[in-house]
Amino acid sequence: MTYPSIFPTGATLYDPSRCWNGYTVFQAKEVGALLIDMNGGEVQLWKELHGMPNRLLPGGHLIGSTGERSTAFGSQDGIDLVQVDWDGNVVWRFNQYEFIEDPGEAPQWMARQHHDYQREGNPVGYYAPGLEPLADRGNTMILAHKNVRNPAICDKPLLDDSIIEVNWEGEVIWEWVCSDHFDELGLREDARNLLFRNPNWLKSGGGVGDWMHINSMSLLGPNRWFDAGDNRFHPDNIIWCARESNITAIVDKQTGRIVWRLGPNYDETPELRRLGWIIGQHHAHMIPRGLPGEGHILVFDNGGWAGYGSPNPGSPTGFRNALRDYSRVLEIDPVSLQVVWQYTPVEAGLAFPVDANRFYSPFISSAQRLPNGNTLITEGSGGRIIEVTAGHETVWEYISPYWGRMLKINMIYRAYRVPYEWVPQIEKPAEQAIERIDVTRFRLPGASPRGARRTVDVAGVLPYRPDAALCVRTDVAESP
Amino acid sequence: MSLILFTATGCARCQIAKKFMREKDLGFAEHDAVGEGKELFGKFYRAHRAAIVRGAEGIEFPVLADGPEVRQGVAAVIAWLQAGARLDGFIGRSDVSRGWVGGLHVSKGDPAAMEDLVGVLGFLKRNGLKLQLDTDGRNAAVLEHLLAQGLGDRVVMELKGPRALYAAMTGGSIEPEEVHRSMVRVAGFPEHRFETTVAPVARTAEDSEGIRYLTPDEVAETALWLKTATGSHRQPYVLHVFDPQADPDDRFRSVEMLTPAVLLRHRSAARRHQVLTEIE
Repeated sequence: MTYPSIFPTGATLYDPSRCWNGYTVFQAKEVGALLIDMNGGEVQLWKELHGMPNRLLPGGHLIGSTGERSTAFGSQDGIDLVQVDWDGNVVWRFNQYEFIEDPGEAPQWMARQHHDYQREGNPVGYYAPGLEPLADRGNTMILAHKNVRNPAICDKPLLDDSIIEVNWEGEVIWEWVCSDHFDELGLREDARNLLFRNPNWLKSGGGVGDWMHINSMSLLGPNRWFDAGDNRFHPDNIIWCARESNITAIVDKQTGRIVWRLGPNYDETPELRRLGWIIGQHHAHMIPRGLPGEGHILVFDNGGWAGYGSPNPGSPTGFRNALRDYSRVLEIDPVSLQVVWQYTPVEAGLAFPVDANRFYSPFISSAQRLPNGNTLITEGSGGRIIEVTAGHETVWEYISPYWGRMLKINMIYRAYRVPYEWVPQIEKPAEQAIERIDVTRFRLPGASPRGARRTVDVAGVLPYRPDAALCVRTDVAESP
Repeated sequence: MSLILFTATGCARCQIAKKFMREKDLGFAEHDAVGEGKELFGKFYRAHRAAIVRGAEGIEFPVLADGPEVRQGVAAVIAWLQAGARLDGFIGRSDVSRGWVGGLHVSKGDPAAMEDLVGVLGFLKRNGLKLQLDTDGRNAAVLEHLLAQGLGDRVVMELKGPRALYAAMTGGSIEPEEVHRSMVRVAGFPEHRFETTVAPVARTAEDSEGIRYLTPDEVAETALWLKTATGSHRQPYVLHVFDPQADPDDRFRSVEMLTPAVLLRHRSAARRHQVLTEIE
């Protein structure tokens, strides 16, 4: 599809009266943790503080990482997880998950954190009334890597995902390792067979299979399902999703067993078929209590390429055999599996399917429910953050101006909106509306205005038809 | 002596036991427990359940009956034939397979039986079996002698706990220096590892109220001792969960079993001094 090479960055659209106004924090590519206001003003940069993701805590503290392990030996291994104050001082650090001795590197402890973590007090890591994350104490749940061998899965070394709970003193007090639950994942024989032969092989450290690639982890928190007696949704239980397997699951914190699962197969019941194949998804979490949609699962269904299964024309080996070239944000009732709300290319106002991939991020990305019912969506691969209303109107848009020097992309892994009150060090900024520019009239200096200098009439021409045929069908019935 | 040897079809360890008996010119009756002697062995097994262990892979053969005495496994059978009960402390049931023999407890036998022990282990080794020795630090001289003779392929050292509790946890008097000496020897052996079972400890004599599990700090002290003795913070060091039902000490049978998750704090503490500590 066609994308312009010239377009504005920063805040491009803003309706203060319809937004849930606050600061937005994200990891600016190869720059650091950046806090911006609603007009895109760069309030503060924690220079070169990494973060996957960065999160702001009440009091102006920020969580991130001081760096990543060399990709020669690891993949997305955060050396540590640190909490820094407004002035950048480290006030908490965890790194003692594994002692790493990579050739040519100084031996050191590493957290091996990747993709997610949650500080006690808040189950999902974003603002919800009465669920403030603790900034001066408390335990932290961390998604980490662990290298394992498990011949039931594959004869090759595996880069496994683990979830650990560490206390304020840095002790690991709970651990869950994904490969221990291989038989609970619902993988069919064709998937198991392929996984054994190709566990998503990475070259790092002599070769390792990143077989699940869990990319989000949060707690359920208090919710109506548990209140009604459904123990699968105990507030301490943990929800995660894994892009390579297309699985979203809930783990019982007490037993470690998987008690609720969505995927890897979406063709086994009428409810799943209606839901459609979720592919390479990110940031699956339960909307926390106190926010509109509380108790529903909100997920950024990337599309792209993921999954293990039987070969098909798009996947000759069956590796990453599920394919789709647009994304969806889905809000799902976890019991009925009904889609309660969605934001797809159709809701974005794009012609489906011919223009659907204008809403598309095949990796990273996220969705955050805001207190006024809006949803903050990070369409990560293009560095775009939007705030959309429940009625799907875009009331805020921001494009990251930060392209990496090493990786030339302005990607945003995951952005979060936080209340102004969480940054008491500065005055609340001014909020100035940004009107939507009429791109049909917008011109750069030197460019000619729209409109032909001379128009002639041609006898016998017919008016354009509203049902004009394209080379492919545009059929609302096929839309997501 | 009336010896009956129960074997199994294709059992290589049974062949080794029979070879020993032939070399010693010991007469015996053999019954294939999965062939012609199946019914006889079934009857024998039902009468001697307490002496015959059925593991995850079934019953390990050979099984020897010498009057009322029953021994199971090639090492225990040969030890009985070599020295009677004198090697019972040193050689027990093996819990490893596939070419390895375990249950070789350096610390639990009488050093006076060293010559017989060397004879048995030497025979096993000459017949192609690999020997896994275990020690808790006692009998350091026996360990050194066996390793010097090449009678060990892997050494596992169970560190019972920190210095201050070691004697209480080994049920008698032991000098920390002897444990230290064993640690040094084990660490110098190519294939080795250290283990600690996070076990309950009787803190006060004869007082069940005083029974408490090793604490994370005590495990950290143990790891520090290991580091100090061996000069390395990278020893392969594993923590185990204590199984009260399997412990011979009646005082510990009613102790609640810990979960592996509880041991995470012990692992964190141990890793302050032994960075490779894991839980198994």
